Amino acid sequence: MVWRAFIRALPLILLAGLWEILPRSGIINPEQLPPASAVAIAWWNLLIGGDLVTNGISSLINVSAGLGLGIVVGVLAGVLMAWYPKVDAAVSPLMKSLYPMPKSALVPVMILWFGLGAGSKIASIFMGCLLPVVLSSYNGARGCEQTLIWSAMGLGASRRRVLWEVVFPAALPEILAGVRNALAISFILLVTSEFLVGQRGLGYLISFLGDGGVYDAMFAAVLTVAAIGFLADRAYLVFMRRTLQWRE
Amino acid sequence: MTGAIQFSSVSHTYRPARGKPVLALDGVSLEVKDREFVALLGPSGCGKSTLLYLLGGFIPVEGGSITVDGKPVAGPGPDRGIVFQNFALFPWKTVRQNILYGLQKQRVPKPERERRTKELIELVHLEGFEDSYPAQLSGGMKQRVAIARTLAVEPGILLMDEPFGALDAQTRALMHEELLAIMRRSPKTTVFVTHDVREAVYLADRVAVMSARPGRIKEIVDTKFPGGATPEELLQTREFADKVDHLWKLVRDEAIRAQAGH
Amino acid sequence: MAGVSEKSSEWSLMALRVGSVVVLLGAWEFTARLHIFSDFLLPSLSTVLLRLFHDTVSGDLVHGITLTLIRTAIGFVAAAVAGVALGVGIARVPVMRWFFDPLVSAGLPMPKIAFLPIFMLWFGVFDASKIMMIAFSAVFPVIVEAWAGTQNIDKYMSWSAMSLGTGRKQFLWEIALPAAMPQVFTGLQVALPIALIVAIVCEMQMGGEGLGGSIMTDMRFADSPGVFSGIIAIALVGVVLVKAMELLRRRLLVWHQETQTS
Repeated sequence: MVWRAFIRALPLILLAGLWEILPRSGIINPEQLPPASAVAIAWWNLLIGGDLVTNGISSLINVSAGLGLGIVVGVLAGVLMAWYPKVDAAVSPLMKSLYPMPKSALVPVMILWFGLGAGSKIASIFMGCLLPVVLSSYNGARGCEQTLIWSAMGLGASRRRVLWEVVFPAALPEILAGVRNALAISFILLVTSEFLVGQRGLGYLISFLGDGGVYDAMFAAVLTVAAIGFLADRAYLVFMRRTLQWRE
Repeated sequence: MTGAIQFSSVSHTYRPARGKPVLALDGVSLEVKDREFVALLGPSGCGKSTLLYLLGGFIPVEGGSITVDGKPVAGPGPDRGIVFQNFALFPWKTVRQNILYGLQKQRVPKPERERRTKELIELVHLEGFEDSYPAQLSGGMKQRVAIARTLAVEPGILLMDEPFGALDAQTRALMHEELLAIMRRSPKTTVFVTHDVREAVYLADRVAVMSARPGRIKEIVDTKFPGGATPEELLQTREFADKVDHLWKLVRDEAIRAQAGH
Repeated sequence: MAGVSEKSSEWSLMALRVGSVVVLLGAWEFTARLHIFSDFLLPSLSTVLLRLFHDTVSGDLVHGITLTLIRTAIGFVAAAVAGVALGVGIARVPVMRWFFDPLVSAGLPMPKIAFLPIFMLWFGVFDASKIMMIAFSAVFPVIVEAWAGTQNIDKYMSWSAMSLGTGRKQFLWEIALPAAMPQVFTGLQVALPIALIVAIVCEMQMGGEGLGGSIMTDMRFADSPGVFSGIIAIALVGVVLVKAMELLRRRLLVWHQETQTS
C-alpha cells in the first residue's frame, strides 16, 4: 500500500528534484526559477513573519463568506424553483440572463458597486458560486422520484414538509456535486479579485511580492494558494463521501 | 488455401489486475476440418469466447498450441475474420466505408474494391443503405454490415462470437437463413460460439459442448442434417428434437455445475 | 383536441419566457430612470446600449474583440494540440500515464490563475505570457476528455480493426482518434470558454488593449456605462463562440448525432 503510494508520488518527487538541481546548477536562470529549497525557506519566513497568516485569514474570510452565501441562496433558490412554479417563473429569467456572463468579467462591476475592499471580493465569489449551486439544486430536486413524493403526500404530509423531508434529501448528491464545482470557482474568483484590487489577501500578497521582485517568496505564495485549492477539494470529497454514506 | 484448424491441449489462465489468477481453459483439444461449421456450446464463463479469441490471435496462446493449416497462430489477421455480438462497426464510417475498410488495408485496386463492395451489399440485402451510418441502422442490419465487412477480405476461416445474441427472436431466425445462404454460396471453415442450443444444432455440422470453468471439451455431437428439407420441416423432425434435447441436458448439467462451483 | 391545447400551451410558455426577459430589461431601464441607484451604480439600459453602439461604430469595440480573440485562439489551439497529444499518450503509453496522472489530478482543482505572476516573470508582460496562461488553463479539460475518449474505445471494435489488417501506426490515426473524437470535442467545447475568460482576466490584470483591458480602464475612470457595455460585449462574444462550437460539432460529428437523438 505504501509502496503504491510512493510510486504514484514518484513523478512529483522527481520534478521536485529537478526543481532543485536545474536552477542551482545554472541550467535554468535562478532569477526566473528559484530553487525549491529557496522557495521553501521563503515560505517558512512568510509563515513565521505573519504575512502568510494575516493574508491567509483575509482570503479565508472572503471565500467562506462568498461561498457560504452562494450555497445558502443557491440551494434555496434552486430547490424552491423546482418545487413552486411561480418561483421558477419569477427567478429563472434572472438566472438565464446571468448564465452567459463569465463571472470573472463581473469583477469590475462588483468593484464599482462595493469598492476596493472585502465587499467586492465576497460579491464576486458569491456571483461565481451562485449559478452552479442553483443549477445542481434545481436538477437534483427535479430528479426526485415521483413515487416518493406521491407516497409522502399520501401519508398526509403538507407540500412544504414533502419538500424538505423528501425532495431535499433526494437532491443532496447532486447538490453536493454542484457545491464541489462552486468551491473550485470560488478560489478562482478569490485570486482574480485579489489580484486586481485591494490591500489584503493571498492574491494581493502574490502581486505585492511579484512587484517587489521577491520571487522566491512569490513562488511560495503561489504554491500555497494552489495547494489550498487542491487540499480543499480533497477534503470536500471526503466530506461528501461521508455525508452520502451516512444517508444510506 | 484451406482452413483446417487444430487445437492441441490449449490452456489459458486469466490474470486480473487485482485478485487471484483463474484457469479459464484446461487442455482443450479439437480438430476443425476445412470448410466445416463447428459450434462451441456451453454455459456462461466456460471459456468458449476465450478459445475463439485465442484462435483469432487477440490473446496470446500460452499453454498448448493452435494451428491453422499446420502453422501456429501469431496475432490477428485477415485470414481469420471475426464477427462480434455488439457488431463492433466503425461508427464514424458509413456502411460502404465500413465494408471497404479491409479492402483498403489490403491495397485492393479501386475498381475491384468498388465491385466487391457492391457485391457484398447485395449479398446481405442492404441496397439503399450504403451511405447510412451505423447509428441509423437496426440491430439486424448492423450485424449484416459486420458480416459483409468481414467477408470482404475473403478470410479462409470465419469466427463468430454469439453474433445474433443481441437480436430479437424474429431477426435472429432471419439471420440464420442469411448465414446459411452465404455459407452455401462460398463455404468457409466456421467456428461459432453460442449458448443457444437450437441455434447450434440448426446451423452447425458438429457441436462441441464445453464444460463449466475451467473449460474442457465435454462431448462432440454430429449435427449435420441431410439437405433438401425446408427450415420449418427440419425444425419439426424427431431427429432435430432429439439432438437438441441431448445437448440441452449436457449444457444444463454444466450450467448447474458452474452455478454451484462459484 | 390534444394537439390544439398543446400548441397553445407551448405558445403561452414561450410568451411567458420572452415576457419575463422583457420585464427584466424593462425593470432595469425603469429603476435606472427613477434614480433609485445613482447613475454611476446603475446606468440605464438605454445609456449602456447607446455606448455599445457608439463603440462599435468608432471601431474601438471591434478592435478590442479582435485582440482578445486572437489571444484566445492561439492559446486555445496550443491547448488543443497539446491536450489531445497528452491525453492520447496517457491512455496508450504506460510510462506517460505514470508520469502525468498525478500532475493532472493535482492540477485540476487548483486555481490556475494563481500562476499568472509566474508566467509574467517567465514570459514578460505582453502577449506571450497571456497566451501561455490561456494554454495552461485550457489544456486540462482537453487532456481529461482525450484520455477518457481514447481509453474507452470498444475493445471489440479495436480487435475487428486489427483483424482487418490495421498496422500499429495506422491504428492511432485511423481508428483511435476518430473513435475518441466525440469526447475529445467535448473537451474542446469546455476548454474554449475557459480560454476566453482567462484571456480577459489576463488583460484585466496586465492592462493594455482588449476587452479585459478596456473594462479595467473604464472602471478606473469610474466610467460605468463603459464597464457595463464591456460586460455585455464579453457575454455576446462568449455566446457566439459556444454556439459556433455547437454548430461545428453537429457538422463534424454527424454520425454521432444520430446516437444522441435516438
